[in-house]
Amino acid sequence: MAKKTRIKAKLKKGVVTVKALANHENLSYQEAERAKKEANFITYVVAKVNGTIVYELSSSQFLSKNPYMKFSFNADAVGVKKGDKLDFTWVDLKGNTRADSKKIK
Amino acid sequence: MINRRNFLGLGLGALAVSMAPSSLSAIDFRKEKPKAWTATKVDEAINELFGKKATPSKKVKLKAPDIAENGAVIPVTVSSDLAGSKVAIFQDANPESTVAVFTVPKGGIIDYSVRIKMAKTGNVTVVVEENGKLYSASKEVKVTIGGCGG
Repeated sequence: MAKKTRIKAKLKKGVVTVKALANHENLSYQEAERAKKEANFITYVVAKVNGTIVYELSSSQFLSKNPYMKFSFNADAVGVKKGDKLDFTWVDLKGNTRADSKKIK
Repeated sequence: MINRRNFLGLGLGALAVSMAPSSLSAIDFRKEKPKAWTATKVDEAINELFGKKATPSKKVKLKAPDIAENGAVIPVTVSSDLAGSKVAIFQDANPESTVAVFTVPKGGIIDYSVRIKMAKTGNVTVVVEENGKLYSASKEVKVTIGGCGG
């Protein structure tokens, strides 16, 4: 079920902008009941560059299916250069986790 | 006989904890503030999460559609020039209010977009915390088709 997270990370004028699309059904309790499946959704997302946290999100069942996330951060404050790797990890309600990384362009 | 059911439960719990990447968690708000996730009103949720009330402010910008044709996918963008440390998104259309809580790390810029779902028309509220003060902005989003199967 846990497919790759699609990530785009770009460094421009000292700001890194990241767009990520996690592949997850994100079933809320209501939806799960209708679909006769178990509810499961992403509860925690973290992105890091060189071990420094650049994005952190705790979420509930109300993110959309295959949640899309966009965020940016100041490259100089974290000491990020082009070519550095961005690590993107999510954890869901059942404890499944998926980590992907992408080079910053 | 030792209570087998309890024993299994404990084992599972321990497994779940050990599987969570502990090295990653700076603040996991689901663990830190479990009550905030079951609050059914926005004010309650804000209170559980931050312990105080938010004041509406123009410094917080919320971008969301006026009318969402599909409640399952509503793009919401929060941006602010405040040097905030936390950002939270709430809505009042679903059974529980809290949608997402961001921790703004060092060098972080408050410009977050996520896609959320709403069961019906309701208000989206965002809160930014700066130096212990809460600033908020809200907007009504009309939903024509419910996202939670409504």
